[in-house]
Amino acid sequence: MTGTGEMAPLLDVRGLDVRYGAITAIHGVDLHIHAGEIVAIVGPNGAGKTSLLSAIAGLVKPVAGTISLAGKSLAEVGLENVVRHGVAMVPEGRNIFASLTVLENLQLGATIRRDDAVAGDMEGFFSTFPVLGERRNQPAGLLSGGEQQMLAIARALLSRPRLLMLDEPSLGLAPRIVEQVYEELERIRKDGITILVVEQNASRAFGLADRAYIMSHGAFTLSGTPEALRAHEDFDAAYFGVSVTGDSPKSWSGGA
Amino acid sequence: MNIEVRTSAGSATAFLKGEVLRRLWPLLCLAVLVLAIGLLADLAPTVLQRRITQGLIYLVAVVGLYVFVGNSGVLSFGHVAFMAIGAYVSALLTMSVAAKGVFLPDLPIWLKSAEWAPLAAAFVGGAVAAVVALVVGFPLMRLSGISAGIATFAILVVTYVVIGNWSSVTGGQNSLMGLPIYVGPWTATAGALAAVGIAFAFQESRSALLLRASREDEAAAAASGVNMVRHRIGAFVISAFLSGVSGVLLAHFLGTVRVETFYLDLTFLIIAMLVIGGMRSLTGAVAGAVVISALTELLRQAEVGFQISGTTVAAPGGLGDVVLALLMLLIIVFRPKGIAGGREVSWPFRT
Amino acid sequence: MDRIIQTLVDAISVGGLYALTALGIGLIFGVMRLINFAHGELIMIAGYAILLMFGLPLWLVVAGALAAALVLALAIERAAFRPIREADPPTLLISSFAVSFFLQKTMILFVGSRPKGVDFLAVLARQVEIAGARLQLLQIVTIVVSAVLLVGLTWFLKATRLGLEMRAAAENFSMAQVLGVRANRVIATAFAISAVLAAVVACLFVAQTGLVQPRMGLQLVVIAFVGTVIGGLGSLPGAALGGFLVGAATILLQALLPPDLRVFREAFVFVAVALVLLFRPQGIIPAHGLKERI
Repeated sequence: MTGTGEMAPLLDVRGLDVRYGAITAIHGVDLHIHAGEIVAIVGPNGAGKTSLLSAIAGLVKPVAGTISLAGKSLAEVGLENVVRHGVAMVPEGRNIFASLTVLENLQLGATIRRDDAVAGDMEGFFSTFPVLGERRNQPAGLLSGGEQQMLAIARALLSRPRLLMLDEPSLGLAPRIVEQVYEELERIRKDGITILVVEQNASRAFGLADRAYIMSHGAFTLSGTPEALRAHEDFDAAYFGVSVTGDSPKSWSGGA
Repeated sequence: MNIEVRTSAGSATAFLKGEVLRRLWPLLCLAVLVLAIGLLADLAPTVLQRRITQGLIYLVAVVGLYVFVGNSGVLSFGHVAFMAIGAYVSALLTMSVAAKGVFLPDLPIWLKSAEWAPLAAAFVGGAVAAVVALVVGFPLMRLSGISAGIATFAILVVTYVVIGNWSSVTGGQNSLMGLPIYVGPWTATAGALAAVGIAFAFQESRSALLLRASREDEAAAAASGVNMVRHRIGAFVISAFLSGVSGVLLAHFLGTVRVETFYLDLTFLIIAMLVIGGMRSLTGAVAGAVVISALTELLRQAEVGFQISGTTVAAPGGLGDVVLALLMLLIIVFRPKGIAGGREVSWPFRT
Repeated sequence: MDRIIQTLVDAISVGGLYALTALGIGLIFGVMRLINFAHGELIMIAGYAILLMFGLPLWLVVAGALAAALVLALAIERAAFRPIREADPPTLLISSFAVSFFLQKTMILFVGSRPKGVDFLAVLARQVEIAGARLQLLQIVTIVVSAVLLVGLTWFLKATRLGLEMRAAAENFSMAQVLGVRANRVIATAFAISAVLAAVVACLFVAQTGLVQPRMGLQLVVIAFVGTVIGGLGSLPGAALGGFLVGAATILLQALLPPDLRVFREAFVFVAVALVLLFRPQGIIPAHGLKERI
């Protein structure tokens, strides 16, 4: 079982290189995600996970490689237009606008929407997250960490993205809250949205994902289904890594 | 820096000398350049000589500004105020009693009767500027980069207002005349050499290195426990001293002081020299001073006009300033690190 | 008693003028982290537009001032600030200074540096009596106009889509972009509003002083800068409050200081500023997210 269909991937990243001045953050990364999948990228601090998401979102310009969404290149699209092509991002640390109200944060999520269904979508979020509904006119900075995370996710979903990317959604949150967040991601998956999750905490992400990549020192070291990866004897080495070998990631499907 | 001890006799000392020479190379180059300019001034006809001498004085001012801006990364719009302070203090100490009687009849007795030697007065001028910088630096250097820059603008304005209105002591808006003129090409050269030397010595010091390292990331610096405020104040005080001295030199070159001289136009000129030359290196500061002085001289000539077959062709008055501002903008957009690109004069030999 | 009222009204009117100026600067800083030194030149160009069109019906003159400021503001944004948008704060600061200097000197090149008199809005020089105090109509108008603009700007920021985008961009520019907010739109809007504020300030200032000169924006802008620093950089309410307080302080000090010291009142204001910064460096109303990064 490989878990991949015969169709072209929704997100196709090839040969990605990201550098900050003299520092190479990502080297030779290939990533593909099919529509409807949940893919996790797991690795320690400094592995390059955030740089990868930033490159896809257009926050940083790669020095080499291609990024395409449903066949269309995202490279020259520009930071402001990535969301218009269907990619929404929830960055590390939530990055909600603390001085704006909950409602205003959501309204910003709908920046690219021109249709009438926006209000309906918002009401949907308010019923799923009653807290957000209660506090809709309060400054978002007053919400708890978990509530802010829900707000950030709801905000990202308001653009009706095809691909939702989350950078360390569990960071700084109590385990119980992390549970709630991941339950929400499960629910979103059922709506057919493709999800890319980046985490340091491998276990919870593995519970959600169909496939995962291990990232270390700027490159993927292993990839495969979560069960296979957990059982893999090189898991620790792949996670903490030694150096970038330049080999393509070993794909372990653990079966047929 | 490791000093290899080699087996063959004599080469250890040679190596050591080589290292020292390499570290001092930028200083030596700049010193030679300054000396060459001084020589040029000495040989030049009177008008040109005066221009070059003034250029050397501005060089001291630019180097003074650089000591603070280049090391701390904080822009200062207030350094011309220190020039003013230095100039006025030295003027008050060196003006003849007779002249003071004419221009500053209400001066306190102890000042009125003072007629100091130039060198002492110059030093005190710089020192007073440094003290003012110390006092003002305590609140200001705590501010974040942008706010500190704006606050330095306040220093400029306050100094201008105070000097411009404290008529009994400074003559207010009027010029003070009759200052001893002891700044010729070689005095200016000596001042420039001293300034470059002090600036170089400072930037090699531990304090300056810490400042520069933490310049990029204030949050990281604060986290690592470096007391940036203290180091910033240090750079600010030294740089104020140099600026004060440049003010002294200017005063005793022109023979008069007027508060209007030490305001926005001069501020822009000095900052432009530093930015165009390159804010991040001493070479940049010197290069900027030299290049812009030469350019302004050319533009001034253009405004005076050239004789072409009987008629005078001249650029409109004020064009020089416009060109200078335009040049600064072009540099910022297309070569933001300035002429020197943030680097010092490089060692030309292979190691 | 009427002297007190007169001084108070004077202080509030001048404070209002500086509050508007500080807002113009604060708006640009909020979205771009750029201190627009050239804001003074926006006021200057509006002033010269008034001079040029003097004699025409009032609404035309004001429209001319608005148009001049708008065109210059958008030109500055496009030509000087857009190419360096990603630069670090010191570079932005110096460029802004250079643009200001360039515009000023270019103006001097064309019209010379001497002030020119213009009897603008002479009708407002009339005095009215309120509660026993003799007040200048212009002062009342200044206060009313300032208040209206402040309210209007607040409404715009809170109630409109563009205003929302501007507030978001001011807090976290790149996050706003990730959500699809267009940078050029937001920045152009900020410049446009700031141009409107500059033009209004120019009208009131020219009416008050009767003079137009290349340096006219300078005095307003210097005090307004200090006001934005005290009020809290990056915070619009802070900018308005800071500008107002510093502006009002110059008038109050004039009234309260003994005659010998009155000429130094600007120095006192700046010293007071330094003291405020000493005890509260982030300003009176600190801004959110001044250090935000994605």
